[in-house]
Amino acid sequence: MILYNIILIVIGVFALADIYKMIAGPTIFDRLLMFGVLSAKIVMAMVIFALMTSQSYMLDIAIVYTLLSFVSTVLIARFVRSRGMML
Amino acid sequence: MSIAGNILIIAGIVMALIGMIGLFRFRHFYARVLITSNIDAAGMLLLMIGAAMQSPDAAFALKIAIIAVLSLITSPLSSHAVLRSARASGYRMKSGEKP
Repeated sequence: MILYNIILIVIGVFALADIYKMIAGPTIFDRLLMFGVLSAKIVMAMVIFALMTSQSYMLDIAIVYTLLSFVSTVLIARFVRSRGMML
Repeated sequence: MSIAGNILIIAGIVMALIGMIGLFRFRHFYARVLITSNIDAAGMLLLMIGAAMQSPDAAFALKIAIIAVLSLITSPLSSHAVLRSARASGYRMKSGEKP
């Protein structure tokens, strides 16, 4: 159980580094890429938390979060297509 | 079974650590798109397999398998969409620039 706590803290540090790169990215495409990486980190933390508590309601939320992050990434990438360097 | 699952989870975290070092190491966008697949695909899949190996019952493991398959399908598609959008917007790598 102490291993899961350490893993959650490490994933949190990685997520903070992702947020730093998201703020510091020069264009919108760097920020969009970091958003995909950050949502993958959040799904990892959700699975570890569900394993810690042995409750499976968090896994349903993780399934929905995976699909929503995919849909939002593709939607923003299509929206800023061919004019993203002006933003 | 529990020790093998813990080893696979730690291997997934190490893959994510390598990906984070790559994100801070590479300077240009097109080099960073490649290293994100190390986090999204390799690290996440190892962590999901390790979590499914020590789940308490079968429905738990099936839900983790659904998450693994979904992320394995959607992460290359989303990185491809971002890369295609950047290329169409004129985000080019200059010649002679170090990655």
